[in-house]
Amino acid sequence: MALDYFLLVFIGAVGVYQIASIPAGLKGLWFFGQPILQCLFGIAVVVSAFAWFFTDENRNFQHTVEGAQQLGLFLISIIAAYVFTAILASIIQSKVDSCPEEPVKGKQHEEGMQTLKTTTLIGGILSSLRKERKSWEEDN
Amino acid sequence: MPPLAGWTLTITEAVEVVEQNVPALNDVMSLLVSDFFIPVVICLIMLGLWVGHPDPARREYLQRHIMNASVAIGISTLVVTIINVHHFWPRPFDPALPDTIIQQSAYLASDTIFYHTHDPTFPSNGATISFAAATGIWLGHRKAGMLIYFLAFLWCFARFYGGVHFFVDIITGAFIGVLTALLISKVFMPRTEPCPTWALNACRFLYIA
Repeated sequence: MALDYFLLVFIGAVGVYQIASIPAGLKGLWFFGQPILQCLFGIAVVVSAFAWFFTDENRNFQHTVEGAQQLGLFLISIIAAYVFTAILASIIQSKVDSCPEEPVKGKQHEEGMQTLKTTTLIGGILSSLRKERKSWEEDN
Repeated sequence: MPPLAGWTLTITEAVEVVEQNVPALNDVMSLLVSDFFIPVVICLIMLGLWVGHPDPARREYLQRHIMNASVAIGISTLVVTIINVHHFWPRPFDPALPDTIIQQSAYLASDTIFYHTHDPTFPSNGATISFAAATGIWLGHRKAGMLIYFLAFLWCFARFYGGVHFFVDIITGAFIGVLTALLISKVFMPRTEPCPTWALNACRFLYIA
């Protein structure tokens, strides 16, 4: 039951990230180049997850996933889904600058996921590391 | 039996009539009453709000409200746990209940669309967390807040329909949830600065905010 719940949230969260990243313009999370395709894919993923989980007749019984465990599993699932989405998008995308020439402006703790508007997660991490190395070399 | 449980008698009888005459409704209620369906939908809406705004300043504003709602859910659950430790009120379908009309009706309902859970009935944990989430979000995003209030109402109604709660359990749970969310959002979180800002900066550093 816990694994099923984890998978429900994980797959649902992947779909939500795909849908929510369209208005936010976070292209670093996109699996597809076209927003419409992206949105349809996201909806299909969310609906599929719920359909798979809730068409099982044995969902309403005395289960072992209690409230606190549900919360913990939910948090782990959405973080895992985010990492999965960001890494998969990094791999899929070659057009979005995964290794930009110019380092990302500002510090990462100020920019946050805004960085994903212009680069992927892996591109952003590499850019930040490059910037840190450059400033370290300048200091020494 | 919780105080004022007798209020539920008329409503329980009406629900029983519907249950016996509209079986398709039982399928819908079976989904809505689930421990997973509406909580997951509410949390995914919050997740969408966390990510989905194009303006960084507005997104941060929403993320702070989502943090407030999440803290409110945790604190309100703690309040319910403390009440449960001190008073154990049995579920409406519990055979020990003196009112056999309510007991038999609730037993039939929960047997049809849910299961016979054993934890205390008062106050409703589902009402508490769903209304805490709805209020926390409503303070930052009116439309999303109203949507979550609607889902919270559906969940609570399904719980009542399924004989899982007395009416008063739900009203009390909703009251605890709303009050906790207001206190957390308006009083507690603003006074804990800069901790929420540090948490957001840590999330930004990890690309998740």
